[in-house]
Amino acid sequence: MAERVFITGMGLITAIGDNVMENLRSLRLQQHGMGHTRHINTIHKEVLPVAEVRHSTAQLAAIAGVPTVQGYTRTTLLGLIAMKEALQSAGLTETDTPSAGFINASTVGGMCDTEKVYFDIIDPEQHGEFLDYIDTLDCADCTQRIADETGIGAHIATISTACSSSANALMYGARLIKHGQLDIAICGGTEALTRFTINGFNSLKNIDKRHCKPFDLDRNGLNLGEGAAYLVLESESQVKRRGAKVLAELSGYCNANEAFHPTAPSPEGDGAYAAMKNALAMSGRTIADVQYVNVHGTATLNNDASEGKALLRLFGDKVPMFSSTKPFTGHTLAAAGGIEAIFSVLAIREQMVFPNLNFSDKMEEVDVTPETRLLEQFPVRNVLSNSFGFGGNNASLVISKYE
Amino acid sequence: MSKHRCYIQGSAAISAQPTFDGDFFSAPLTTTSANNLVAMEPDYKAFIPPNSLRRMSRMLKMGLTTALKAVQNSGQPSPDVIITGTGKGSLSDTEKFIRDIEAYKESALNPTPFIQSTYNSVNGLIALQQKSTGYNNTFVHRGFSFENALLDSLLQLAEGNVQRTLTGAFEEMTAEHFYIKSRIGFWKEATIGNAALFEHNTPGSISGEGSTFFLLGNDKTPHAEAVITGMKMLYKPSAEALNKALPQFLQKHDIQPGDIDLVITGRNGDINTDHYYRVLFSAHCPHTPEVPFKQLCGEHDTAGAFAVWLAAQILKRRALPAILQPYVSHLPKTFRRVLIYNHFIGEQHTFFLLERV
Repeated sequence: MAERVFITGMGLITAIGDNVMENLRSLRLQQHGMGHTRHINTIHKEVLPVAEVRHSTAQLAAIAGVPTVQGYTRTTLLGLIAMKEALQSAGLTETDTPSAGFINASTVGGMCDTEKVYFDIIDPEQHGEFLDYIDTLDCADCTQRIADETGIGAHIATISTACSSSANALMYGARLIKHGQLDIAICGGTEALTRFTINGFNSLKNIDKRHCKPFDLDRNGLNLGEGAAYLVLESESQVKRRGAKVLAELSGYCNANEAFHPTAPSPEGDGAYAAMKNALAMSGRTIADVQYVNVHGTATLNNDASEGKALLRLFGDKVPMFSSTKPFTGHTLAAAGGIEAIFSVLAIREQMVFPNLNFSDKMEEVDVTPETRLLEQFPVRNVLSNSFGFGGNNASLVISKYE
Repeated sequence: MSKHRCYIQGSAAISAQPTFDGDFFSAPLTTTSANNLVAMEPDYKAFIPPNSLRRMSRMLKMGLTTALKAVQNSGQPSPDVIITGTGKGSLSDTEKFIRDIEAYKESALNPTPFIQSTYNSVNGLIALQQKSTGYNNTFVHRGFSFENALLDSLLQLAEGNVQRTLTGAFEEMTAEHFYIKSRIGFWKEATIGNAALFEHNTPGSISGEGSTFFLLGNDKTPHAEAVITGMKMLYKPSAEALNKALPQFLQKHDIQPGDIDLVITGRNGDINTDHYYRVLFSAHCPHTPEVPFKQLCGEHDTAGAFAVWLAAQILKRRALPAILQPYVSHLPKTFRRVLIYNHFIGEQHTFFLLERV
């Protein structure tokens, strides 16, 4: 159980860039990815802003290097692009992938493509190429296609715990490594925008018609986004054997349930508090060791108040710098935990704190203020990254500088 | 992990057979004339208050009730850790929300089907009902959904920080989804029913559904049913890899093929994928009695959970249910150890090893 778990590679695609470097550049330039959808047929098109990856699905297929788009969902292609970058960044080749595991996360699988042809699929009179998408609706389709394209074969799993899904994928991957079940686990999530989720969150009155304002008095909901992110996790002994370059350490994690409400967090942030506290305890760090918290910060009325309370409960009057990066990327649901874990690694590697965009006034109910400036040459050694979801599912990760 | 002994302290299963509250061991086979085995749903009022019941869809009721009954059967307090697997989650809610979006032109939608379609909604509900504030996870990977949930549970129990987990699986079939899968050849073309599942040498199987939960723990409690001593997942293995994997698995657990009293296989009558079972067992344990189980519960993503439940009941009773006896030429002499081999559509293959308490 003594094995430490290191991050040795990462890859991502979001509305603010097709790879890690482009994402970092956008964060640095404070350029967000919010706009209106070009790829989804919805009446909310001009009303609800989204952070959409700018490429069409056919363009994504070309970037991902698959010969034809047919049968590949947008979810799969986003994931494949992020996966290929992650493998390359870790220096893993076709000879390594058969012994690697893949722990993926998704909330609605291939819904993005199946929802467009669903009524044809269930109509016996209709026949055609849409039948290639018939078995892509579930969450495992994207995982298996990505694994098969890249030759990953030692272990395969898909997790779906709403907005905390990919944080849980990282935890499970780390557990498999600590138990010696795997030496390499590639973990994260992929999520494409869908009419299904836009209408789902809109029916819950959780979407802001403006650009979201996390932790602000005037916040009024989230903006959805899409993207994919994977991190390569390796055991300490495997890193030594392979001579891999370590980017950071996944030093602690915790998943805790609130048992409070199917969709709303508890007002005192019980789950968020438990997840952060226990993740920190596992990492062997104290509250004084945390320089930055990448908060869940969806900008919904409930989340930010509850998460703010949890920060105060854990850190007292010494709340570290924190920000939500969701105004940049939108809320990418199952991919969010992976994307923000990569941002946390970047905060450590680049010695940066990313700004919480759109903040002007503090919430009435909680006395916390996010960091609104871009800080460079700021000493970041330990980052807490939060991901909270429906079903009371709260997950926190501690990402630490490799020492 | 190989030396870790995980006790099934209690369990419950809703399936197409009287597994939830009937006398499953002596009951005759419940049959269907269609290619679709429908779960026998119990009276949920005994488990869920009426005002909650009204709001819950079928999958949520089935999942929550099975979880509560598994805890009840164990005689143990409810655990903090809840880990489940489901291939499709609440399909009827997913379908309803897709239809609502179309019918109401994306306006004034009721969010309930959206919330309930979320794959972890059953887990959230169990946690809420049981006030379980510990680790909570939902795996959604076809024939590796329950299997990953079980592996996660076994690892956490082996770590020793967790004493008990509530681990389960649930799956629902709808008429619409049955039709969708029929378009890509999942089911037999001729309507054969479950009693004759193995009598037609044709492609496809028959569908099923159900919910199975286990209370797992490190201690041998008074109602303990069986011990899970090992499991191994293989993703799209080659014939050669599969052939090597079984002896390696047995060796890792220090047993010989002769130590296995009964083999339970996931044979489902599909001529395209049933050969895996035949080839593997004729090579490695040709003399061990073998029984299939999918004529009882139908083919579905989490049928593996039903097989584990079945193995545990056999080890607890030290007997073979009457409906399985016709499949063996001789009854096992003892019931000490059961090996399960199941695969889902030839892609996700799993071995489970269980021993009696």
